[in-house]
Amino acid sequence: MGRACAAMTVLRRNNLLWRWLSLAPLLALLIVFTVVPVAGLVWMSFHDRQWQSGIGVWRFVGLDHWREFTSNLYYWPGLRNTVVFAVCAVSLQMLLGFFMALSVSRAQGWLRGLLTTVFLLPVVVPPIVIGAMWKLLLGTEFGGVNAALALLGVPAIDWLGNPALALPSIILVDVWHWTPFVFILLLAGIEGLPQDALEAARLDTLSAWQSLRHIMLPLMAPTIAITLVFRIILTFKVFDEVYLLTSGGPGTATEVVSFSIQRTFFGRDDVGLGSVMSVFTLFVVALLAVLAIAASRRRRSD
Amino acid sequence: MIESTIAATRRQMLALGMLAAAGAIRAETQPKITMLINQSPWFDGFKKMIERYEKDTGNRIELDVTPFGGMLEKTRNSLRASAGTYDLVALNAMWMNEVYSGGFLQALDDIEPGYRLPANVLDFDQSVYWNDAKKSFDPSGRLLGVPVNGNVQVLYFRRDLYKEKGLKEPTTWAELEANAKVLHNPAGGVYGFGIRGDRGSATYDVAPFIYSHGGRIFKDERNGDYTVALSSAASLKGLETYIRLAREYGPPSPWAMSQDKLIQLMATGKVAHAVAVIAIWGALDDPKKSAVVGKFDAALLPRGEPGRHASAAGHWVAGIARNVPTERKRAAMAFLKWFVRQDVQVAYVQAGAVPVISGLGEAQFGKDDRYRFLEALSENSRNSVFYAPVKERVEINDLIGLKVNQALLGELSPKEALNQAAEGIFEIARKAGYKTGRGEIL
Repeated sequence: MGRACAAMTVLRRNNLLWRWLSLAPLLALLIVFTVVPVAGLVWMSFHDRQWQSGIGVWRFVGLDHWREFTSNLYYWPGLRNTVVFAVCAVSLQMLLGFFMALSVSRAQGWLRGLLTTVFLLPVVVPPIVIGAMWKLLLGTEFGGVNAALALLGVPAIDWLGNPALALPSIILVDVWHWTPFVFILLLAGIEGLPQDALEAARLDTLSAWQSLRHIMLPLMAPTIAITLVFRIILTFKVFDEVYLLTSGGPGTATEVVSFSIQRTFFGRDDVGLGSVMSVFTLFVVALLAVLAIAASRRRRSD
Repeated sequence: MIESTIAATRRQMLALGMLAAAGAIRAETQPKITMLINQSPWFDGFKKMIERYEKDTGNRIELDVTPFGGMLEKTRNSLRASAGTYDLVALNAMWMNEVYSGGFLQALDDIEPGYRLPANVLDFDQSVYWNDAKKSFDPSGRLLGVPVNGNVQVLYFRRDLYKEKGLKEPTTWAELEANAKVLHNPAGGVYGFGIRGDRGSATYDVAPFIYSHGGRIFKDERNGDYTVALSSAASLKGLETYIRLAREYGPPSPWAMSQDKLIQLMATGKVAHAVAVIAIWGALDDPKKSAVVGKFDAALLPRGEPGRHASAAGHWVAGIARNVPTERKRAAMAFLKWFVRQDVQVAYVQAGAVPVISGLGEAQFGKDDRYRFLEALSENSRNSVFYAPVKERVEINDLIGLKVNQALLGELSPKEALNQAAEGIFEIARKAGYKTGRGEIL
């Protein structure tokens, strides 16, 4: 009995050792590529760097950058716009992406291949091309959209210069660009649903809407949650579309957090303030991701 | 006879051999250097000069041609490294203060003792000399670079329309406004005046209006007084003139007018006047890119009343990195000295670029109609102003740009825009440790 216990202990110890050994490479990568950079950002947020005779000199400044951050002219309008952008763009993408996935999952033969190819096209276009293309399309004087509207007698619309329209225009471009990403993830989710549950719903003579609401959506909740989290994180990182179409203007109508961070870090070379902005944004995004996952778990347990 | 022929042949062979040897020596006088340069409308002209230099001297220069958006990061990465990638870096007016003050460049008279810029080379408001103690430009400071592109603002006007309506070249903003009013005909597809107003360009474009009316950003930065002076009656007059011209005689949404849009409108004949950089001249006179070839002329920017002429410097200076080997610094110096030669600058203009020496307009070739911009370029260069010559220039430029943009939009009154910008500049100067003060508030 005692020998058996000892053997079990050794086995457990070996097992534990093996677990740590197998996790070690991943842990090392996580520490090097995630923990160290974040710790570096936190450290830099309390320091200031000046260049003297070609050498960078760091100085501890305490909470100075954090105080400056509270009244930053760009970040706060940018955060408001980013939240509006994330809510509107992600909602539209989830809705459109789901119905696109549903229609493809029900299509047969060549139509299925054709729809998948067409739906996926925007996501494979490089962002720089998307920016240039939409800038040409949305231009006031020479833009393709206004030229098409002019044929219908509609006067020219200033899509990117009107502060009320600039952000919605960028949201539309983002929806066009990223809905295929949502579509492909949700299509994979739909394809992976247990067919017997859907079959049972059909035999129970549930309507299409009832089947969608009571069977399909609850079963797809994990896929939807992951897609949602992905998209929220990615919308917080939106940069190229804004940079290429409006550069944050007019005024601060299309300022977004990533643009504020980029300008502070790389334009002004203010790594202290840029780090504060980055740490705060990281916190906001992590909070939103946790909330989204918690909501999904609660829905699943319900 | 035969002997004399053989002797002559020997002499010829000897001479050829000596020439070849001389060529070989010349070809190896300097090591190969690398230069960081931006992809811009004037780059083709610069590239032709590099080819000519290589052909003339046998020395080699490798160019890293980079879009404007990537220039600053590449410059910083190379200059801040222990060993630099680039021997020569092209510095835009927007960030040359940061590079100068960081101590990343070798003063030219360190490389060649006693070197001074030739008298006819434009220094664009003394922006090639840096005084570390004053933290500003100063002709008694160190010479840190040589201009490689003389980009300043000029007044573009449609000479065909001027002739048609019998108008005179304006010398004041009021005269320009009167002419813009005459030519403003949006229904006919022509706006009286075009200027950039987007956030990124607004500071640069409003600067001549403010400075020409007697306004300025700091009280006397060249002498160490960084008291903020932006919020003044003179600046207000300048800003109001800029807003009025842009809103009343310009295309819709002037707050969203960027460089590419302005060029589009000018090249398609939709604006009668514009304040824009001289670097776009080539595009306007190129039949492949323009519908108004030969129709634009350039002039000195108008002055305020009371006031002076002022054109914002937007030039490029080439500086020699400190963190490269001495022989490559000497090679870079040899190129810069060659580049500012009169004959090279003439070839530079003929290749479609913007020269960096004065007096070319008076030269014989300058009388050719193709080079009719040269006189305006020289005059505006002589009146160039370098606003906010401090290492925090990018930050100040961003701040004024936002406030002017909001004033154009109507979100702020011109007074509020100047007051808020002045308050922000004071905070920037205070944080950076300059001797500063709040100055007047409107």
